[in-house]
Amino acid sequence: MKFRADLHIHSCLSPCGSLEMSPARIITEAEAAGLDLLALTDHNCARNLRAFDHAARKSNITPIFGIEVNSIEEAHVLCLFPTVKQAEELGDFIENRLPQIPNNPDLFGDQVYVDEHEFILGEVEVSLLQGAEITLEELLKEVKERGGLFIPAHIDRPSFSVVSQLGFLPRLDYSAVECVTWPPVIDTADYCVITDSDAHYPQDIAKRSFTFEADSPTFEGLYDALAAKRVTPQKRS
Amino acid sequence: MKTADIGKVLGYECLCSEGMEAEIVDGYTSDLLSDVMGNAPDSSVLITIQAHRNSVAVASLAGIRAIVLCNGRKAPEEMIEAAINEDIAIFRTSDNQFTTSWKIAGLLKKN
Repeated sequence: MKFRADLHIHSCLSPCGSLEMSPARIITEAEAAGLDLLALTDHNCARNLRAFDHAARKSNITPIFGIEVNSIEEAHVLCLFPTVKQAEELGDFIENRLPQIPNNPDLFGDQVYVDEHEFILGEVEVSLLQGAEITLEELLKEVKERGGLFIPAHIDRPSFSVVSQLGFLPRLDYSAVECVTWPPVIDTADYCVITDSDAHYPQDIAKRSFTFEADSPTFEGLYDALAAKRVTPQKRS
Repeated sequence: MKTADIGKVLGYECLCSEGMEAEIVDGYTSDLLSDVMGNAPDSSVLITIQAHRNSVAVASLAGIRAIVLCNGRKAPEEMIEAAINEDIAIFRTSDNQFTTSWKIAGLLKKN
């Protein structure tokens, strides 16, 4: 069967994410857009994933628990897991490696995390936009050891991508690579290519997505489909 | 000037002492490696805070002979190993990129 996924969404926890982007709202919008799988991937932080998990239980959406990690190269990578716990473990690890520079909400927006009723539980004070002190290779190891997917984000963008930072795509054991444009305008080697929305506002959820072939709309189904490249990215509209 | 002068004259800490006799004729300061790859001159020293293995790969491609890591950035073991293989020296300083560039430009001018 074919299933539709968007694996790159920011909630109100990301400094650039709209405050309207509560986990519950994200799930509502994704259901309306007809998605089967959805990953929440806030910058360097996993603190909204519990509320996301809770919201997804009342829906037909399979939640994928992610973090968009900014490595020491300042390259963004989607790190995706089947359980909140695995993602939170990586989240703690990453937060401990962030330079202790406070966020300025006036300039970058708030970094709030919420409970399942959308009550604000707290605010992350350290800026989540920074590069964590971990190299791509070390991060890959941490993610793979925890059974996660490791997907360099928007590699065809002119900033904060592996390619924009390094000038080339290091040949590492990626689960897939994410592009903004399909067919790709850059060399994606033999990697499986996916397209996601990178939504920061409700109306952008699923504006880009991809379909994959699997027996079931689960993390395992997704994992196998990426490994076998049974994936159809979305053409640039 | 020789690569070794960066350590000898400026007192910068040497993390990888390969290619100390190499002649350096120019320098390039950037923390965006794609920019380094496109614009760094041959036989130059790279002044940066990008302390990881991929900096060495880019330096090698661009014909850079030495890397100076600024703001006291630590070099991971894999970066030093890569530098040994590519014959690229690595130095470290607590100076920032501006000060380092200014000091190295002074050295290049004298030689």
